Amino acid sequence: ERFGHHPLATKLRISLSVPTLTENTSDWARLNMELRRVLKAEDKPIHIPLSVLKHLPESLRKANWDVSVTLTEIDSGFTVTRVEPGNDHPPYGLAIDIGTTTVVVYLINLLTGEIEEQQGSYNKQAKYGDDVISRIVYAVENEEHLLGIQHAVVDTINELIDKIIARKSISNLDISSAIVAGNTTMTQLFLGVDPRYIRLEPYIPTMTSVPSVPAREIGLHMIPEALVHCYPSVASYVGGDIVAGTLVTDLANGEDIILFIDIGTNGEIVLGNQDWLVTCACSAGPSFEGGGITFGMRAMPGAIERVIIDSETLDVSLKVINNLPPVGICGSGLVDCMAKLLGAGIIDRAGNFQLAHHSGSERIRATPDDKEFVLAWAHQSGGKKDVVITENDVKNVIRAKGAIYAGIRSLLNMVAVDIEMISRIVIAGGFGNYLNVHDSVQIGLLPDLDTDRFEFIGNSSVKGARLALLSQNAWREAEELGRKMTYVELSVGATFMDEYVSALFLPHTDLSLFPSCQ
Amino acid sequence: MALTGLEIYKQLPKKNCGECGVPTCLAFAMALASGKASLDTCPYVTAAAREALDSASAPPIKAIKFGNESVIGDENVLFRHDKTFYHPTTLLIRVSDSLSDDELSLKLQEIKGLEFDRVGLHYSIDGVAVVHESGDAARFEKVAGIVAAGTEKSLLLLSSDPVALKAALVPLASRKPLIGEATEANYEAIVNLAKENSVPVIIKAEGLDALNDLVVKAQALDYKEFVLDPGSRTPVETLANLTHLRRLAIKKKFRPFGYPVIAYTSQTEPLDEIMEGSVYVSKYASAVVLNTSTKAHLLPLMTLRQNLYTDPQKPIQVEPILHSVGDVNENSPFYITTNFSLTYYSVEGEVETSKIPSYILPIDTDGTSVLTAYAAGKFEPEKIAEAMVACGIADKVKHRNVIIPGYVAVISGKLAELSGFKVIVGPRESSGILSFSKTLS
Repeated sequence: ERFGHHPLATKLRISLSVPTLTENTSDWARLNMELRRVLKAEDKPIHIPLSVLKHLPESLRKANWDVSVTLTEIDSGFTVTRVEPGNDHPPYGLAIDIGTTTVVVYLINLLTGEIEEQQGSYNKQAKYGDDVISRIVYAVENEEHLLGIQHAVVDTINELIDKIIARKSISNLDISSAIVAGNTTMTQLFLGVDPRYIRLEPYIPTMTSVPSVPAREIGLHMIPEALVHCYPSVASYVGGDIVAGTLVTDLANGEDIILFIDIGTNGEIVLGNQDWLVTCACSAGPSFEGGGITFGMRAMPGAIERVIIDSETLDVSLKVINNLPPVGICGSGLVDCMAKLLGAGIIDRAGNFQLAHHSGSERIRATPDDKEFVLAWAHQSGGKKDVVITENDVKNVIRAKGAIYAGIRSLLNMVAVDIEMISRIVIAGGFGNYLNVHDSVQIGLLPDLDTDRFEFIGNSSVKGARLALLSQNAWREAEELGRKMTYVELSVGATFMDEYVSALFLPHTDLSLFPSCQ
Repeated sequence: MALTGLEIYKQLPKKNCGECGVPTCLAFAMALASGKASLDTCPYVTAAAREALDSASAPPIKAIKFGNESVIGDENVLFRHDKTFYHPTTLLIRVSDSLSDDELSLKLQEIKGLEFDRVGLHYSIDGVAVVHESGDAARFEKVAGIVAAGTEKSLLLLSSDPVALKAALVPLASRKPLIGEATEANYEAIVNLAKENSVPVIIKAEGLDALNDLVVKAQALDYKEFVLDPGSRTPVETLANLTHLRRLAIKKKFRPFGYPVIAYTSQTEPLDEIMEGSVYVSKYASAVVLNTSTKAHLLPLMTLRQNLYTDPQKPIQVEPILHSVGDVNENSPFYITTNFSLTYYSVEGEVETSKIPSYILPIDTDGTSVLTAYAAGKFEPEKIAEAMVACGIADKVKHRNVIIPGYVAVISGKLAELSGFKVIVGPRESSGILSFSKTLS
């Protein structure tokens, strides 16, 4: 790969000469000298923490002076994190993506760069709130809460690590480094840093560049002295996960202008090229991940992912993940459904249900609270009730897509770049795997550009963590990116609000922006 | 046109050191482009870059300062919605030196009274224009002295006689008055007088062509503290001239017209005069000289000035006061929402549909929606309880119920405790208000 292979942690097999009365230098000096020779460390210092030093004499002698030494390398030098009897297990590293909802851990073989195992689960912080805001509100109530919410995520990660090492039959002492990518709130909560001011105007995070800390300080199940590195953040609502994604998309290494969108709750967007990078978070809300939608759900078995509506009879045919009876609708299904409701004239461009035009159909009906369209009848559904999409759901999706499109337009305005100048649009997020570009353009979620300019990369956060784990250069570039990205505060000025209001329409109030929809 | 952020960025050191107070060079460039930062805060900018940026980002209309903190000019747009108008029109009251001493002191008294407090804002008149009409240089000097002694406000000394002007100006030079007027006939004397005393000067000519010629000649005297007067004295002509001058300065970067413009009202009937003044305030006059000094005439003009010069780059908001929908009475339900207009009007629309006369109190959340405001700590129970007291709802209704948006149910306990009201958690979406309202007894 473009960064070259030079992992943040290494493991060396070292055979030392046995001390004698004439060759009577200290244990550490003996080891240090040999390490320096093997590493070609030149003038870089090699540190040894007291905790490792304490066990050094026994470790060396028990191993009969043939040891495996694990080291962490950062710019300022090397640190010995473990000395053990010589073995040839490869060193492993962890690429960790802390999502607000899900946490993913990859076990990476640092010699080969291969992903040897991966595990994911829900973030246990969910019991303190579904979103970052409610978790901040909870965490700042008192010290205990902050500690509790930190432990919740550390426990989540540790369980995943335990599962991985059990499956791989390795020890957690074989894990010699870890890179964590998460949004700014997740990063601060993971480290137990007070997140109070992230959500309060003027929205200031405690730090953007994060010091690397030994695993024992956080309690991760790996070599206690091994370093855990967190991806730098940019601002309160653009965090390390986005910096990681930016690294993966290779946005900052060419003249072409690239747009990177994470279609998720925070809706982070990055725009730029080698010369400049701007970013913002447009708070799209959770509707594309199933939140705030009556029958919304994640893209898993039983979720409707494609919808076809006959514009004459309003008959519906559905494609459901794993071909199960439908129980709900996922993000891609929603986008599809919106486009089809509009196409069949069931909703107008403002998202209002056209009850009067379709009085003959049973599928479209009014309840005391709302109007709704039946996608699947109770007898066909997995949940034994009608699966519907309501006018409120439609409006929620319009707000979400409006926010993302307005965020894109605001960034373009800010740097006076025309949409046609964008050569590539890279879409990340779990949702991104299932997105239909044509439908997305029809409802005005994505700009009306040729389909071949779009690209999906899935979970770019964990991919970025892996890249940095395997390359000093990548990690340096990541830190550089964090400093270089310019955060645009959308709540300042009227641009975003004007763009947002204009985008609350299908596809937009300015149809000239969507030539293919005319 | 001014430079864009990206164009400025190319000239910056790209160190992203943050020493200017913003995290990245690009953010700093964008702040420079929008006039919110000064190049001086960057310690690493090269001399070459500074020169390039200074000349390129020179304002299309020069800022002219005079008198008691009066700033005119320094505008960038033809329409306020494009960005904002920065420096409110300086309003000056005309005082002729042909008034008797008694009339003069009466006029000064009246001018002193032109202070208003309205909707929490303070309006005042900015200055006095002393006009030489007596033909007597000594009288002009004396009246200028009396006016200067009688007011702290900014001064404009207006005479086409360089001798009279010099006599009046010299004792008052420390007040830094604006002087005028330099015409084709006298410009060398008057511009030099302004230059010697470091005060700004009005350049007056009949029509734009003549004004252009005169400005170029006056600039050759190596002085550039100018205010322009295109000589027109009817509303139609003046409107046309003001528009041309602003447009040429901004759109064409036509340097001779890159100065603020002064306008004089011509109507003798005060109400007509205020109408005329309103046009000039709306259309680019940086200073307007008025005859009338009556409170009743000037209040609407100052209100208009205040409205036009507010920053339109603020979220769309409704006034955060108690609103009533329908014919409210002491049993009317009481809803809480935010002052973001999209939020407020979706609530108001649904409440209206319910046909139950109700009160709605939009909380001042800087124009953000319910969840956004909650996320940013702007929709806290403390603030809501305060707003409830401030709006006097307790005297307007018999009941003690407050309905809050369903999405912020979490604040209900605290709000009940702080306000003493029973908190009813309403529906999450405003579309649920109709059926919800039927459950209210």
